[in-house]
Amino acid sequence: MPTTPESDLYELVRAVIDPATLVRHVRAGQDGAIVTFDGFVRNESHGRATKYLEYEAYETMALAKMREIGAQVHEEFAIHRVAMVHRLGRLEIGETSVFIAISAPHRAAAFEACRFAIDTLKRIVPIWKKEYFQDGAIWADGEIPPAAPKAKPAS
Amino acid sequence: MPSVSRSARVKVLFFGRVRELTGLTEENGEIREGATLGDLLERYIQRYPQLAGFRASLVASRNQEFAAWDTRIAGGDEIAFLPPVSGG
Repeated sequence: MPTTPESDLYELVRAVIDPATLVRHVRAGQDGAIVTFDGFVRNESHGRATKYLEYEAYETMALAKMREIGAQVHEEFAIHRVAMVHRLGRLEIGETSVFIAISAPHRAAAFEACRFAIDTLKRIVPIWKKEYFQDGAIWADGEIPPAAPKAKPAS
Repeated sequence: MPSVSRSARVKVLFFGRVRELTGLTEENGEIREGATLGDLLERYIQRYPQLAGFRASLVASRNQEFAAWDTRIAGGDEIAFLPPVSGG
């Protein structure tokens, strides 16, 4: 299993995500930059007005995959700390579903690492979103994760 | 005496669309030793034909790691058939 520093934070939560706490968590004296990604519930999907979303996860595997992404981020980018939190259950319009904060001595690594982290999370972490509309509900299209254990894009 | 083929006990988990289509969240199953993840999926498709249309979009996990369909199942495995993921 890949390892991540103890000072990182990886969580699945059912309560409201507080971005300020997570930003504080990754901020340290040796850093000069923090890049964050705040993913929140949009009020429409393909032109249909969304009422709310429901997220569910294969929780143990999802957390393992989030940590795996974190380990890869530490390996590939000159960053300091990672905080990565995904919310589950019912989320209303405008509420944060996923928040990632990454600190680094210099901004370039933090930008690249954060982009890599959210892109990879969306591709391989077993979490599912159901979209509720006025007249029904559908499972979001989603992405088919690569079957191989290593989740690198085949570019 | 007929030979008794040994079987493997596994835990199977269901999520998202697969959970809704089968009405299952988790069940303990038995399958002959040496069977693959693909064999197990075929068994569920026989039981729940409504899964057939989604076969191409599913990936398997074995013990919380993505696994190819020809992976052999062992006793005690935790297996899931995962629909396309849509976190974020």
